[in-house]
Amino acid sequence: MSIMEKIPLGRDSHLTDNLATFVELLRCEGLPLGTTELIDALQALERVDLSDRTAFKIALRAALVKSQRDFAAFNRIFDHFFVDFDVYQNRVEQSDKYQQEQQEQISLADRDLQFKGESLQLSDDELKQYSSMTQDERDRLQEFLHKTETGKNVEPRFRPLLENVVKSHLRYCRNRDSEADYNKASGEGDGAGSGSTSTDQNIREKDIEAVRSSEMPSAEHLLQQLSRKLAVKILRRRRVGPRSGALDLRRSIRDNMRFGGVIFNLKRRPKRRSKQQILLLCDVSASMKQYSTFVIHFMMGLQDVVRNLSCFSFAEQVENLTPELKGRSGLQHVLESVVRHSKNWGGGTNLGSSLEELSRKYPDYLNAKTTVIIVSDTRTVSIDRALKALEKLDDRVKRIIWLNPLPIERWPDYRSVNIIASKVEMWPCNTIAQLEEVLTGRL
Amino acid sequence: MDLNTLRKSFEKVGYICDESTLLTVFLALDLQKPILIEGAPGVGKTEMGKVLAEILQTDLIRLQCYEGLDETKALYEWNYQRQLLRIQMNRSLEEEQIHEEDLFSREYLLERPLLRAIQAEKQAVLLIDEVDKCDPEFEAFLFEVLSDFQVSIPELGTISAKHIPVVVLTSNNERELSDGLKRRCLYLYLDFPEAEKEVRIIKAKVPGVADRLSWETARVVSQLRRHEDLRKKPSIAETLDWVRALVALNRSRLDGKLVADTLNLLLKTHADQQYFNKEIGPDGVEKILKSTDDGGDMRRCQ
Repeated sequence: MSIMEKIPLGRDSHLTDNLATFVELLRCEGLPLGTTELIDALQALERVDLSDRTAFKIALRAALVKSQRDFAAFNRIFDHFFVDFDVYQNRVEQSDKYQQEQQEQISLADRDLQFKGESLQLSDDELKQYSSMTQDERDRLQEFLHKTETGKNVEPRFRPLLENVVKSHLRYCRNRDSEADYNKASGEGDGAGSGSTSTDQNIREKDIEAVRSSEMPSAEHLLQQLSRKLAVKILRRRRVGPRSGALDLRRSIRDNMRFGGVIFNLKRRPKRRSKQQILLLCDVSASMKQYSTFVIHFMMGLQDVVRNLSCFSFAEQVENLTPELKGRSGLQHVLESVVRHSKNWGGGTNLGSSLEELSRKYPDYLNAKTTVIIVSDTRTVSIDRALKALEKLDDRVKRIIWLNPLPIERWPDYRSVNIIASKVEMWPCNTIAQLEEVLTGRL
Repeated sequence: MDLNTLRKSFEKVGYICDESTLLTVFLALDLQKPILIEGAPGVGKTEMGKVLAEILQTDLIRLQCYEGLDETKALYEWNYQRQLLRIQMNRSLEEEQIHEEDLFSREYLLERPLLRAIQAEKQAVLLIDEVDKCDPEFEAFLFEVLSDFQVSIPELGTISAKHIPVVVLTSNNERELSDGLKRRCLYLYLDFPEAEKEVRIIKAKVPGVADRLSWETARVVSQLRRHEDLRKKPSIAETLDWVRALVALNRSRLDGKLVADTLNLLLKTHADQQYFNKEIGPDGVEKILKSTDDGGDMRRCQ
C-alpha cells in the first residue's frame, strides 16, 4: 500500500495538503516528524469536530508533538498557520495584489531590457531582480544597452553575448543583495532562519566569540540538544563484559541446555558502572566572558537531566554555581546572579589559588569517580603554582579534561597552554561542533 | 467508546482531567495507538493506566521499568527448572529420547507482562511505567511490540496480539526517549493542576473534606509550586495525602501553624523544609490564606 493510499480524508483534500505544509514548517523548527506522524494527525482529525478549533489543535498536538519542549514552537506555528477566515482572506488578497505587482514589474522590466526593439531572453527571476534594483542601477544598465545598441558595427548576432553580460550582472546583483540581507538579518537579530538546519550548521562551526546576539536562540537550541545527548551517555551505566559481573545462573542454565543441563559455559551479569560524577569548572574571567555565557547555558541544560553534576566558576576565587543551576529559575536569572553577584565575573585569573580553594573547601566533590572538566583559555597568573595545584587535583580525581576555547592555531603563542597541555588532556572547543565532539566522544 | 462516554467514565471513577487530556486519551483509544504520558512525579500518569483499566473493565498489566530490564523479565522466559527436571526424569526413567521442541513448547513458557498483554483473551491495559528508566536497548526492543503488537520468540515464532492492548507509557523525563519510541505514540504532557482543578480532585478523592479546607490546601500547594527553589514540588499525590491527614485530624480549615506542623507530608526533603521555614514560614501561609479574597475564589470552586 502506498503512502498516499494510507492517507485518509481523500487524496485531493486541501486539508491533507495544508497539513503536509504545516508539518514541513514544524520540521523547520526542529520537530522530528515523518510521514507516520502526518498520517496519525490526519487520522486523529477524522475523529474530532473540525469546526472546533480547540479540539482540532489538541488532536494535532497529540499526534505531532512528542515533547513538552516543542509545545511553544507548535503553538506559535499553529496560531500563525491556521487562522480565522477573515485573516486568511486578507492574506489571499495581499498575495494576489503582490502577484499582480510582480507581474507588472516583470512587464516593465521586459520593456526596459530590449535590444534592437526585441526583448532579451531573460527569466522571470532575472526580470524580478532587475525590478528590485535601484533606479540608478537600472538607468546604468539601460544606458549600457542603449550604447551597445547604437554603437558602430553592432550586429543582431551580438544578442546572445549581450544577454550573457546582462544575466551575469543581474546574478552579481542578486548574490550581493542576498548577502546583504543575510548580514542584516543576523546583525539586527530579526531571527530569520533560526532553527533551520543550514543556520544551525553555520552556528555550530562558528567561533563562539563571534556568535551574534541574533544567533543566540539557535545556539541555545543546539546547546540544549548537546546537553541531552551527553546526559544519555552519562546516565548509561551498564557494560557487558566477558568476565565482568556476578554469575547469572538463569542465562548459564539456558546457554548450557544443549549439554543436557551440565554447565560448561558460565554467563555473567553485566557489570554496573558506577555513576560518573562530573565537576565543571568554568573560567569567568574577562578574557572568557562570551564563552562562559555559553558554558553556563550548556551546564543548565545538563543540570536538568544529570543529577550528579556540580558546577563551579572561577577567576581569582572559586564559586559554587550548583545551587543556582538546580534552582531551575531560567538562564537569565542564573546569568544575572552569576554576572551581578559574582566576585569573579570579568576579573583576572588565578588558576592556582582557585584550584587550591576548590580542594580545600569542597573535598567531597573530588574523589576517584569525579571527572573534572575545566573550561579556560589557560591565561593565568603564577603558572607554576597553577601547575602544582593541577597535579594535586589530578591525583585526587579520576580524570581532568581541559576545554580550551582558544583556536588551536593560536595555542603555540601561549606558554601556559603548552605547559598545561603537557600535564592534562586538552581539547579545543571554540565552536559548538568542537564542544559536542569532545563531550560526546571523550566522556 | 465516544468522547462523551469517556468523559462521563472519567468523572465516574473520580479522575479529574481537562479537555486536552480527555481528547488525547480518546484519540489514543480510538486510533489504537500507545499513549506516552510525561510530567512531573505525582501528577497522575500511572493513575491514568489504572483508571483506563477500571473504565474498560479489564485487567491492568503493569511493567515497571528499571535499569537493566531485559526481555526475559518483560516478555518471556523459559522455565529452566522444569526443563531440567524433565531432562533428568527422562534420563532416569530411560524413556524415549526427548526432542528440543518438546522442551521449548508453551508448556515451559513463563509469560511476562508484555506477552501476557498480547496473549490476553480480553483487551488489556498495558502500563509501561517509567519507561525513561530502562536502557535504550530495551526501548528499541519495545518498538516491535508497540508498532505491530506482536513479539518474536525464536523457538516458537511470531505471536500476534489476540486483542490490541491499550498501552500507556509513562516517563518522568529523566532521560530523552528515542524518536523511534515517541513516533509510535500519541503524546500527552500532564502538568500540575491549577488550584480550581486541584480542589475538584481533592473533593473527588477525599470524601467528606470540608469545602474550605479543600480550597485552602489547594491554594497553599499551588503557591508552594511557584517557588522555583524547591527541589521537589508537592505533587497531587502529596496534596491528597496531606488533605487525608488533615481530615483525620478533624481539621476543617488551615492556619500557618498547622501547615508548619504537617509540612513533612507535603515537602519530602530536609532542604525543602528548611527553605519553607526560612522563606515562607507560618506567616507566609497566613498571607496566602488571607489573599484568597475572603472566599471569592473559594465560592467559584464550590
